[in-house]
Amino acid sequence: MSDDVMTEIQRDHLFNLILKGEREDGRAFDEFREISIETDVIGTADGSARVKLGTTELLVGVKIQPGEPFPDTPDKGVLITNTELVPLASPDYEAGPPREGAIEIARVVDRGIRESKSLDLEKLCITAGEKVWIIFIDIHVLNNDGNILDAASMGSIAALLTAKLPRAQYDMGDDIPLPVRDIPVAVTVIEFGGALLLDPSLAEGVIASTSLITITNNDGSISGMQKSGSESLTVEQVMQAVDMAKNAAAGIREKFLEV
Amino acid sequence: MSEKPEHFIVDGKRLDGRRVDELRPIKIEIGTLGRADGSCYLEWGNNKVLAAVYGPRELHPRHRQKMTRSVVQFRYNMASFSVDERTRPGPSRRSIEISKVSREAFEPVIFTKFFPRTAIDVFVEILQAGAGTRTAGINAASLALADAGIPMRGLVSACAVGKVDGEIVLDLMKEEDNYGEADLPVAMTAGRQITLLQMDGHLTTEEFYRALELAKTGCDQIYELQRQALIEKYSKEYTTEIEEEGPAPAGEPEGDADE
Amino acid sequence: MEKRIVIPGDLLSDDIRVSGSGTYVADGTVRAALYGLMNKGERYISVIPLAGRYIPQTSDRVIGVITEVTYSNWIVDINSPYDGLLHISQYPRRIEIEQMSRYLKVGDCILTMVKDVDASMKVELTLRDKDRELRRLSDGRITAISPTKMPRVIGRSGSMIRLLKSEIGCNMFVGQNGRIWINGSEDRIDLAIEAVRYIEANAHTPGLTDRMQAFLKAKKKTRFGKTYENEDEEEWR
Repeated sequence: MSDDVMTEIQRDHLFNLILKGEREDGRAFDEFREISIETDVIGTADGSARVKLGTTELLVGVKIQPGEPFPDTPDKGVLITNTELVPLASPDYEAGPPREGAIEIARVVDRGIRESKSLDLEKLCITAGEKVWIIFIDIHVLNNDGNILDAASMGSIAALLTAKLPRAQYDMGDDIPLPVRDIPVAVTVIEFGGALLLDPSLAEGVIASTSLITITNNDGSISGMQKSGSESLTVEQVMQAVDMAKNAAAGIREKFLEV
Repeated sequence: MSEKPEHFIVDGKRLDGRRVDELRPIKIEIGTLGRADGSCYLEWGNNKVLAAVYGPRELHPRHRQKMTRSVVQFRYNMASFSVDERTRPGPSRRSIEISKVSREAFEPVIFTKFFPRTAIDVFVEILQAGAGTRTAGINAASLALADAGIPMRGLVSACAVGKVDGEIVLDLMKEEDNYGEADLPVAMTAGRQITLLQMDGHLTTEEFYRALELAKTGCDQIYELQRQALIEKYSKEYTTEIEEEGPAPAGEPEGDADE
Repeated sequence: MEKRIVIPGDLLSDDIRVSGSGTYVADGTVRAALYGLMNKGERYISVIPLAGRYIPQTSDRVIGVITEVTYSNWIVDINSPYDGLLHISQYPRRIEIEQMSRYLKVGDCILTMVKDVDASMKVELTLRDKDRELRRLSDGRITAISPTKMPRVIGRSGSMIRLLKSEIGCNMFVGQNGRIWINGSEDRIDLAIEAVRYIEANAHTPGLTDRMQAFLKAKKKTRFGKTYENEDEEEWR
């Protein structure tokens, strides 16, 4: 059955569980599914990570090559983030150019890395106005079982942390690690039946029409946010969601992303 | 890209130490993706590929439906980070051609008449490319189709044969693929029906016949590996089951599943 | 009876008269068309698939979800490549076209029967039956299993489903399309779903009913605690 056919019975069941403070898979509201991050999995990439979030799975590959800077930032490297929701990953994905969902994921992940100044783009300048390093982050979703955004965020920063500037290949000296200064982590909080939940499963994500994504940095500051979905949130909910996201991000950073 | 080596074969050994009639190591995992009806992850030398099958399922748009059979659709796609120089996401002329001939490699073996008006979708994602991705994709797709319970006349097995240093060799590695004198990917069934055949380069007819013979022995070996992987998937589960539960109760096995 | 795993193309017999479901005949031999368990009887060989979609057949009882209400028809997802059509005249009582959504709306589940399937796989459903078993399902929960594994949830002449219902103490209906409706108290529904998952994981193994009995005893002991503590103590180590 496709993701958007949700039976009345299932909806009621999930809703009733929430009222009792429970979730279908027995997790607490602020509990993630099992996380696994494996790095350096793709030899053809300059950095890579395979992330599993429960049964959700994706690959992030980082490719780095010299190219022209943007005219308005002649002395800075370029960051390009792209998400492919390939039809292999879900019965609901179709082949074709990225749709709004894929573009939103790529842009939110990109925003976190860019705005946190995690990547020192100035250090990625080779010759001002002529040649800079271009960093491509490609997020390739393999199995969508909910919450691909958080997985994409973890995977992207994990791949950047292990990526090497391929200087030897271009006769510019030895390969060196990318200048990564901060570890921004995006965490999605969904609103469902008045409750706020972390790491939505596929079914929870379908039912909850609204989520708030908060990207926090090493020092707990916020580098990006996105409300997504067709319903509103109260001020209190937003405050609580930011708090939940910040705590979860700190936990994920400490456990999986410290260098 | 690496330089052209002076010799591809020294003392009967190839650059990676193989004999001329030897395959690169192959690793197969079946049923790795939860959302798909059937799936397979396959490593072959430096190739890492994933195949997923969805269907038979409703075919959109409706005017493409066939009233008397299912339509097989095949999408071969390369992850942007799967090759040395980042490739633009989405279909290229190359991937569209590979998708077409790969689809045609399966059309002769799938019993499409059982599922009028539907689509059987095969998706192959090349995560890391290392020469011979189309044949790797076909081998994985063959297993994903079996895993999805699609009725078939038999499995399809594929490998490439080529010519380097004037010699016919099995299963080209990257350098041989890039600088060799000929490349001949072949797919066939265990019953020796050839379902894919392409060739580029230069071969005499005598060399071609020898190459085809070598391809047969390669496909035979791959067929055995595919077969083992399918048999093992269930026998493995069966053994763990027995260990956990103690010896199975004596007596006749139940015959209820065929009622 | 001989059972083993076969793959498509495997030679099963030289006698084409024994060709059963999941097999095909080529060059005077019977071969497997599916990846599955070969089931060899005296006069036939069939292959029981380990996976695959539900293909509707007349008189199948299935669990469907309303996905669309059109003029005079409800479109019903029956967990198949083919949608089912429930015509207004197949509702148990006479209703007006304008009122269709009042009786069955998008997202509602129904226990329905396949009335007819034509050559182009147009699937007609009905809610009319003598026993009044067919109906809208307004409570309970629905879980799903691969349709190819569904027969094992029923068991030989219904042995498994009887065991599940009586041991767990819940109401269950197993649709031919792999959807299973369960009703009862929440913890019993949870246990029934666990039991279904157990069957799913072990569907290709023999002796399943016996092992299910042991599985349920062990589960009930931990789950329902005191209620069952003294029951069959000596049998369960």
